[in-house]
Amino acid sequence: MRSPASFSPDNIVVGHSARMRAIFDFVKVVSKSDSSVIITGESGTGKEVIANLLHHSSSRRHQPFVAVSCALFSENLIETELFGHERGAFTGAIKDKPGRFEMAQGGTLFLDDIDDVPLSMQVKLLRAIQNRTVERVGGTRSINVNVRVITGSKRDLKKMVAEGNFREDLYYRLNVLPIVLPPLRERREDITVLTDFFFKRFARARGVDAPVVSPAVRYAFSRYRWPGNVRELENSCERIVQTCTCGTVRTGCLAAGVLFGAGDPVPAPAAAELTIGEPSAVSLDDRLREVESNLISWALKVSDGNKSRAAELLSIKRSTLGDRITRCGLQDHAHDADEAVPATADPAAPLAVSA
Amino acid sequence: MVSRDQVESVLGRIRPMMQADGGDIELVDVQGNTAHVRLTGMCAGCPSAHMTLYMGVEMALRDEIKEFEELVVV
Repeated sequence: MRSPASFSPDNIVVGHSARMRAIFDFVKVVSKSDSSVIITGESGTGKEVIANLLHHSSSRRHQPFVAVSCALFSENLIETELFGHERGAFTGAIKDKPGRFEMAQGGTLFLDDIDDVPLSMQVKLLRAIQNRTVERVGGTRSINVNVRVITGSKRDLKKMVAEGNFREDLYYRLNVLPIVLPPLRERREDITVLTDFFFKRFARARGVDAPVVSPAVRYAFSRYRWPGNVRELENSCERIVQTCTCGTVRTGCLAAGVLFGAGDPVPAPAAAELTIGEPSAVSLDDRLREVESNLISWALKVSDGNKSRAAELLSIKRSTLGDRITRCGLQDHAHDADEAVPATADPAAPLAVSA
Repeated sequence: MVSRDQVESVLGRIRPMMQADGGDIELVDVQGNTAHVRLTGMCAGCPSAHMTLYMGVEMALRDEIKEFEELVVV
């Protein structure tokens, strides 16, 4: 079980991105219910933070919040962890031990890494969630449990169901209220506010003033891919606050991995293939349009649909890009930087989490 | 034998960002498979920056240049 870190809903940074705001609005709505919630997102995107927020915004907030990672335990151990065991159930079981379900009685149970639960255990979990009762290992009596179950997964469970690695019945039981957390690289507009928040927090903990951040560092942070997502950003900020000797964060303070990652060129667009073989007639105009269309699509993709950034990547004017997008019929994929994602976007709809 | 160009091409990837901050990483010399560099400008006096340089840049050089052995900060 994770250490019960002190949590306060005030300690959460929402960020400016429309996607995160939609998620937080959705959390407010579903915190009132008792239905299962499944939070999908890459490692470090804040699944436990959202689970905590759900608990603390619900009527169960004065009851326990128990978080447990299902990846920590072997196939045999996970059952006694979740359901507990009776004295004498197995060698070493010298006394009765309640499981996580019982410990969360009246409150919320957050089962993280649900995608790592073996198939044999999934059926037991389904029974417990469906019947709201658990049986301790080696015990015979059923214990009623009143817990709200929130699960976390780094993989797309639907895909796992299709591959036969996750039980369909459990999937539907868990997937009542889905929340999909985007990776940090898909909401780069939040990096600045998160960076400032973390610097301030770590500086306060160390008893120093929050450092000034140079524009070059901001640039590097905004370009880096952040494979470890918000957790990696948080750790980078902590390291910098602990090691900074001058009160200003400059590129020299950054881990070389971030510097090199930020300095790497954006992945180049796939070149239009030229067929080798029999020489045949080629329409130069068609070919050029194809190349233009490919390059514009690529630029829009790597700049997350931000036209100004895409225009910069292509070394053309923002207005020229607009004309060319129209000409190539690419209108649907682009949006303006200051144009927010429609507020009506259903936060429950999968927002594409790459596995 | 590691060439100066090989080392420069790796350093070149982070140099623009360091220069934007009023600093630089200068390649002083390449001897055999060892490169000597100097940190100049804003971060030159910072022990943390030296540590970053030692660990991170040396690792990047070893990753990209098979025969690279050592980075010496002078």
